[in-house]
Amino acid sequence: MSYEDLENRINQRNVFLRYNVELEGPAIKPEEDEDVVDILPNDEPFKSIALTILHENRDDAINIVKKSLDEGVSPIDIINEGLMKGMDAVSVLYTKGIYFLPDLMLAGDAMMESVKECEAVLGHKSETKATVVSFVAEGDPHDIGKNLILMFLRAGGYEAIDLGRDVPAADIVEAVKEYNPIFITGTALMTTTMTAFPKVVEALQKAGLEVPAIGCGGGAVRKDFVESFPMSVYGVEAYHTPKLADAILKDKKDWKDLRKEYVDIVDEFVPEYS
Amino acid sequence: MKRFTQMEYKDPDEMLFGHAKFPVKIRENMEIGDGYVIPEINVAPGEGTEESKEKMVSESRNIAHSASERAVNIGLPAFILEQEHISQQTNNPDWTAECTKVQIEMLEKYYDEYGIKTALRATPADIRDEEKDSGFWDSDLFNKVIESIEACASNGASIVSIETTGGKSVSDYGIARGDPKAILFGIGVLGSMDMEYMWNKIVLICKKYDCIPGGDTDCSQANTAMFLAGGLLDKDCSHTLAALARAMGAARSLVAVECGAMGPLKDCGYENPIVKAITGVPISAEGKNAVCAHSDLMGNLMAAVTDVWSNESVYHREEMGGTTPEVWLQATGYEAALMNTAIETDNGKILRDLYTLTDKYRDPQALVLAYDNAYRIGQAIVEYGDDPYLRARAAALEAGAIINEAVDAKKMYLTRFERDSLDSALKTLEKLPTESDKFIKDCIRRYSRKIADFDPKNYEL
Repeated sequence: MSYEDLENRINQRNVFLRYNVELEGPAIKPEEDEDVVDILPNDEPFKSIALTILHENRDDAINIVKKSLDEGVSPIDIINEGLMKGMDAVSVLYTKGIYFLPDLMLAGDAMMESVKECEAVLGHKSETKATVVSFVAEGDPHDIGKNLILMFLRAGGYEAIDLGRDVPAADIVEAVKEYNPIFITGTALMTTTMTAFPKVVEALQKAGLEVPAIGCGGGAVRKDFVESFPMSVYGVEAYHTPKLADAILKDKKDWKDLRKEYVDIVDEFVPEYS
Repeated sequence: MKRFTQMEYKDPDEMLFGHAKFPVKIRENMEIGDGYVIPEINVAPGEGTEESKEKMVSESRNIAHSASERAVNIGLPAFILEQEHISQQTNNPDWTAECTKVQIEMLEKYYDEYGIKTALRATPADIRDEEKDSGFWDSDLFNKVIESIEACASNGASIVSIETTGGKSVSDYGIARGDPKAILFGIGVLGSMDMEYMWNKIVLICKKYDCIPGGDTDCSQANTAMFLAGGLLDKDCSHTLAALARAMGAARSLVAVECGAMGPLKDCGYENPIVKAITGVPISAEGKNAVCAHSDLMGNLMAAVTDVWSNESVYHREEMGGTTPEVWLQATGYEAALMNTAIETDNGKILRDLYTLTDKYRDPQALVLAYDNAYRIGQAIVEYGDDPYLRARAAALEAGAIINEAVDAKKMYLTRFERDSLDSALKTLEKLPTESDKFIKDCIRRYSRKIADFDPKNYEL
């Protein structure tokens, strides 16, 4: 029987289902989502600014922000009431599966460049909730996970310091001394590079430094391994990171609390912690 | 360097697992692509073994021992052991030399005692780093990679492969933002240039020894897109854009063969069916027996035209059924046995078509890699074979056309995200210049500014 004959005999629904197509509901505008409606500001110019971020429109975002700054609107208000609200809405749509990674990255780019305009008027960097330091384990060149974490943290209002790939423990110790972070995130792809994480903890302890938590995740990293040394928590998804940071900052949670209360903190079912 | 401007296969129906136009003979031991499929086992060292040379050598020996033992126990006629090196091995070429030597000794022992045909594929890690300012092609890290390749070849490795990373900073940027121009520049231009630089050197080294230059894979780029695209419910990269990235990856991975790589091409190159259609070299592939490493939607389809069937990679540890080399070699071995039974009973093409049709419409990535469509993408590549940029662009446009035809025929269904992302990518790709110089200049201007890690000087641009 020919390839074509075989193909024509198959009832494809008995072989596979494209669930994503099957499940997709009617299209709505992002600003009409009920959770987004609750987040978006009602007053101008903040509403328009938030919408440019929601629509991932970098050029429009910069133009409206510049115009608002010229008109004397406070740069701090533009960041907190406009840009951050737009980014909050983008994050909500991402976690609901309506927006995708490129939406998040493009909205993030638009937000970060608009924040720079505000900072130029402010004359200094805008205030952030706190500082988080992120790195990729020594010996590991894979940094997509780390880059996602940086983006989620920045979108969540944190100053995220990027130490890059293949980072030795000594550099992390120096960064902790310099930035005094509330949280450190580390990613690794291989089991033979995740062994860098306990070495970081050891180096910090040796230097007499205490960090509320070191989040470790990525590729072949295992929860049981991460929980075999102190100061650490196993991070499951990149978008959980700002929620963990919030718990440290607002509720004074430490690494032991994060391990115990992970599911409550990220507010969703996480099999690894069930 | 020979560029492919014609297809070695004249009809896609000529392509079948276990058969390559140009089989590769590994010493007197085995012939790859000569009418049978060979299982390939790939095992990563366990945690802690990176701490010293002694531990790594011992781990390498244990992996080779476990695999050989199970192969003999279940009566496999032949197998390939692939050792993908971790950075500590490549950083220390003397580790590479010793690990290769003990694995070869173990494989030869089993060949001598039981007659099982064995070969070692050694794959040093590409430890070069665009982030560091030491120069991508002129750095200590680059020299370490080359020294490690020589250490493999001179210590008896049967096949040498690598997963080069040229252009990755740019393609990563494009994949994360849905920017097809950046993906095309990263994979089609920078990736191809880097391959040419690297593979001209690798082939020369292999010629000095009795070693086969195997092939490269677009693991660092197209597999990043595939991994981020994930399953049907994931939301990080559209499956249509990942399909276009894969087609571009074929134009890039072809460069290794143009420089003298003979195959079997490396397992995680899902673009391999396209490269095989163009060049006729044997390929390795992975799918349903690589679930230990990752999930994809092409588990059966990737077996259709392969010559070596791999498990991708698994960490060395104990399962209930034995150590991981034992367990996963058994899994790949049984699948290869099924393919070989189909060949022996003259049912090879039926099994090939069943493998293909099981997954063909599951995902746009599977659709473009089905052997008939892979062949079409190969034809688009050879039409512009002399120009790495234009052929990668042509491959992506052909992949887009294949997806759209299947959608029109109501065989392929897309989500809104996949539909929008494909339409937008094709619109961008169609408008791009038809002159390489113009495209490259434009991309250098655009992406040098946007991507901190990308330095055109690393590519002598």
